[in-house]
Amino acid sequence: MIKFIEEMFRNLNTWGLTALTFILGFAEFSLGLYGKKWNKNEKFLDIASYTAPKLIVGPAVAYFGLKFLPAAFPALKGTLTWIPFTFGALIIAIADDLTQYWYHRLHHEIPWLWRFHRTHHSAPYMGMAMASRQNIWYTFFFSQTYVTTILVYLGLGYPALFVKALKSLITKLAHSSIKWDKPFYEIKWLHPIAWVLERTISTPATHHAHHADVTDDGVGYYKGNFGNMFFFWDIIFGTAHISRQYPKTYGISHYEGDQWYAQLFWPVFKSKVEGSELAADGPVVREDIVKQPVVEEEEESYSPEEDLDLQPSLVAASVTSVSVNNS
Amino acid sequence: MKTPKSTIQRIAKNALLSLFIYALPVILMFITFSIKGERPWLKKDNKVNTVSGKNNSLKEEDND
Repeated sequence: MIKFIEEMFRNLNTWGLTALTFILGFAEFSLGLYGKKWNKNEKFLDIASYTAPKLIVGPAVAYFGLKFLPAAFPALKGTLTWIPFTFGALIIAIADDLTQYWYHRLHHEIPWLWRFHRTHHSAPYMGMAMASRQNIWYTFFFSQTYVTTILVYLGLGYPALFVKALKSLITKLAHSSIKWDKPFYEIKWLHPIAWVLERTISTPATHHAHHADVTDDGVGYYKGNFGNMFFFWDIIFGTAHISRQYPKTYGISHYEGDQWYAQLFWPVFKSKVEGSELAADGPVVREDIVKQPVVEEEEESYSPEEDLDLQPSLVAASVTSVSVNNS
Repeated sequence: MKTPKSTIQRIAKNALLSLFIYALPVILMFITFSIKGERPWLKKDNKVNTVSGKNNSLKEEDND
């Protein structure tokens, strides 16, 4: 049984997740979930963003793990192999995902970093097409990749195999335009599971809110929900917003289709769109274009207080965090 | 464009808490060893806990 699970995760890490991306992407495309927003420029950017890291960043990380670390710290190789699997997995999961939470959050909260992350947010749709969409420098300096590579070098490669596959699965599904979490909010007896789920891992509802083109309208919240695999970082640090609803529109309110190469390689290439944050003389952070908030009509608004009978202390904590951030 | 002072203060406060969270699994592990009276790091025949070399370069596909 353990062999089977091990093989499953090994396959996920090699070809499984790539296959899943294509299957989900095909399903999303067939269901028309990208609408007419996936134009030529966006297609180029999404495909280049998916391919470029494999050609450029992959070899860089491989060099770091297979050449640099053994040359710089030969005595440290495998020094942590005595750590039991459970603790190894816990160490990797926290080290990797908390580092990514910070990397992500800082790119939103420190103005001069924003433009390196903007490419991921400019997509006016959600789905597999945009899940890997990033500025090349943002991907290159993905801090958690190097943290995890160091831990693997120290001897935590086996637990990393499981954690990384699980993380990729959760993050891909959180970006998908297939709202797999919706039944958990609609079916009453599933509500307790939904309550735990949405506070533990990233779901389409919470992550889509992060990708909304508006914030503080009760649904969209790009000022928070930074968690990648785990959502409880946002709960702990007060950056969470849970509404159990999905934004009607995604992206950046003032996005005007910056050239794909500018989005991928900024600041090496600049956007030709006047006034764009990626243009040569563009602002570091541009003000949002204010519009009326749009919410899916059939959705009922959700308030965390409704579930107070479940776990009052935890709900209170998350309610506090939400209200603080909405102020 | 400057980062607001309140943001920097919140980041600093949360970063301190993060240091504790990073250390938490290690602390928990040593508490467990202490309770069980185990010292696995002293064992000489440690089973190598690594997978094949290619996992040393775990690819990063997960985005924010």
